Amino acid sequence: MDATTDAPDQDPQQQSLISDFETLSLTTDPLINTAAAAADTDTTTLTSLDDLCYELTSLQDLACKGSWLSVLDKVSRARNLSLLSLPHEHLTYATFNILALSKLRRFSEAASELSSLDDLNSSIYHFETYPQHYPNRTGSFVPFSLRFLHADIPSKLGNRNETLDRLYLLLDFVRTKLDEKMNQKLVNSVNEWRRREIFVMNCLIGHHLSHKEFSVTLKLVTELIRRDSDDVIMLSKLGYIQMQLGDLDGSKRSFDLVEELIKAGKGGALWSEVQLRNLVSRNKALEYLVAKDYVSAVREYDECVERDGSDIVAINNKALSLMYLRDLADSVKVLESSLESVPTVALNETLVVNLCSMYELAYVNHPDIKRTLSKWIARVAPDDFDASCTRI
Amino acid sequence: MSGATAGSHSLAFRVMRLCRPSFHVETPLLLNPNDLFFGEDLHDDLSLSSHLNDLTSSLFHNSDSDLSYKSRFLLPHSSDAIGLSGLLVLPQSFGAIYLGEMFCSYISINNSSNFEVRDAEIQTERQRILLLDTSKSPVESIRAGGRYDFIVEHDVKELGGHTLVCTALYSDGEGERKYLPQFFKFNVSNPLSVRTKETTFLEACIENHTKSNLYMDQVEFEAAQHWTATMLKADEHPSENNTLASEIFKPPIIIRSGGGIQNYLYQLKPSAQGSAQIKVEGSNVLGKLQITWRTNLGEPGRLQTQQILGSPIMRKEIELQVAEVPSVIIFERPFLVQLNLINQTDRTLGPFEVRLSQSDSTEEKAVMVNGLQKMAVLKVDAFASTKFHLNLIATKLGVQKVTGFTVFDIHEKKAYDLSPDLE
Repeated sequence: MDATTDAPDQDPQQQSLISDFETLSLTTDPLINTAAAAADTDTTTLTSLDDLCYELTSLQDLACKGSWLSVLDKVSRARNLSLLSLPHEHLTYATFNILALSKLRRFSEAASELSSLDDLNSSIYHFETYPQHYPNRTGSFVPFSLRFLHADIPSKLGNRNETLDRLYLLLDFVRTKLDEKMNQKLVNSVNEWRRREIFVMNCLIGHHLSHKEFSVTLKLVTELIRRDSDDVIMLSKLGYIQMQLGDLDGSKRSFDLVEELIKAGKGGALWSEVQLRNLVSRNKALEYLVAKDYVSAVREYDECVERDGSDIVAINNKALSLMYLRDLADSVKVLESSLESVPTVALNETLVVNLCSMYELAYVNHPDIKRTLSKWIARVAPDDFDASCTRI
Repeated sequence: MSGATAGSHSLAFRVMRLCRPSFHVETPLLLNPNDLFFGEDLHDDLSLSSHLNDLTSSLFHNSDSDLSYKSRFLLPHSSDAIGLSGLLVLPQSFGAIYLGEMFCSYISINNSSNFEVRDAEIQTERQRILLLDTSKSPVESIRAGGRYDFIVEHDVKELGGHTLVCTALYSDGEGERKYLPQFFKFNVSNPLSVRTKETTFLEACIENHTKSNLYMDQVEFEAAQHWTATMLKADEHPSENNTLASEIFKPPIIIRSGGGIQNYLYQLKPSAQGSAQIKVEGSNVLGKLQITWRTNLGEPGRLQTQQILGSPIMRKEIELQVAEVPSVIIFERPFLVQLNLINQTDRTLGPFEVRLSQSDSTEEKAVMVNGLQKMAVLKVDAFASTKFHLNLIATKLGVQKVTGFTVFDIHEKKAYDLSPDLE
């Protein structure tokens, strides 16, 4: 990667920010300008993502819409037209590119691009290597998700062990950084790295769980709970894992504890009150479900949907409960109407798989019906939607 | 899953196995914007840090009019990275069925014709066990394009091939009475194998032959009449105690799929009544193992083993027991051992001669009889015993096993080789 990619007729000393509200600044570090600009004004909303990286707002927008093909186009255009002037912008764009390719399940291409980068710990990705661009800034400008993608992609290409190794190494790396930041008393950074530590641990839990490696999964989960015994979301997930295993007594204890904690006012930092009440209801519904009391399960889920019409877990699980009540017609209705009313959350591969299973049972001519669904999905779905879930 | 249908039928059966659903687990690609939009060390800059948080926090704000797919991109809570949202998935394939489980199936009979179908009598049976029968109250009609659904359940108690037979007797659009049979075949396999080993302890080794991990709900040994059994468990590792997590979370016993094993240990004790009489010749019935397991979302299965037999106890006619041995035995000094000869038969036996035979080795025995090599013992009555002393001398140091006692019944001219536990 070329470290000095200035636009031809621009003096690096007067590097301008691509921003709407421009302050011709005296300093040259584009990142410091943001803070300086904010300090000069009354509100903090003057800063935008674009101050930090070329057209970052647009990239964010495309990502939220799920328009990953457009992200690829945008990155490609920026590269071809040499629109990126700073080293950190190149790396951010590369990260978006690899992310988009991964979202589109084009993992070999993602892996190729990753391998074209240098070692992520190299000084090439440090601000201090480019004093002409970032005069007073030090530290790595590698976006953390790039490290995560580097660890995760091998498993998508069939090399699960490599991913596990890399994730555990990443965990070590994060913990080392955490120690460094704590020693330097950089409080905000410490919070970020602590969050990243928990993130990597959760990724590991996901990997082990999807391979049914329950002992190590449970060890990691109980470790996280030990660190934050008020985390009602994590406790609920422990309950789901116990239930999946068949340890119904265990899951009941976990769900009871979640309910107690929420009654005692915990969990408010994580979720809104409606979300917390729905969590308790959904957990209760699961207990009814395993006890085969499907009527009560449906009732709980109905209450959830009343409180929050976009609670897609409640909607999906309610449909399944109806099916176990021999009411296939209503199961189908529940799922179909959710796709109509809240498509941006309902359009979920798992929900579609369930709907197609129901179609296969309900209709002799299910291929036709699934085709209709497929066509609708193709019009509405984001680029990363995996259409193979309709099993056509 | 559906069977083949004859072309002329308006009705068709569709069958779906309805075991419990599972949680969907799939590691998603969801990210925190702080990990994507900025370099990883940017929060080191305190003046910048709060602005960065402002820029990203608005992303997480959900409004009703939000029509973006950002839930497929952003990570609201770290635990969402696990990919366990709580969404349930219907069973996606028929799967394997094992002995001890419950077979549950959703059956839908569809009318694909353009005519109403009337008076449908539906039966499903398995191995001639009738699971559902509407002949007493036939389904009045199934409209064109309509459906009649039902769910059947059956405890699987036999191994091997099974056939689910679904039949419908109905009147079609032309009033013609038609009969539709459909057959769905499946196989029931053995989920576990149990191997036992018995001395005073019963060791049971359970091996999992299924494709799922099995959560062992209960493994109980039901002892037979004469025995009591206590399960022995290993002590918990001290570091695993004293945490909040251990209050709600007790590590479950899970047997891994496809060949995993778990061992259980029981201590067997003869139960209170009649310990002398339990030495019944021939087979020795210890009891049965009752095994209950669970798979996804608590789907239960249960099996019972056959009667587990202990090693057969040979009835001994006479028995030699050691009554008393001096606590200190000095090298090359004679010592007395008191022995008890018990007559287990119902008639008087004897008189006997007791000696320590020289046996096979040419070596000098470590412990020998001091004095007369044969000890005469008088007759012993039925179910009685008699005590006598043997004068022994040790010729070697250390712990020595005394073996090779021979008791010779002079009257019946029968020799018994007995080895009381004597060291």
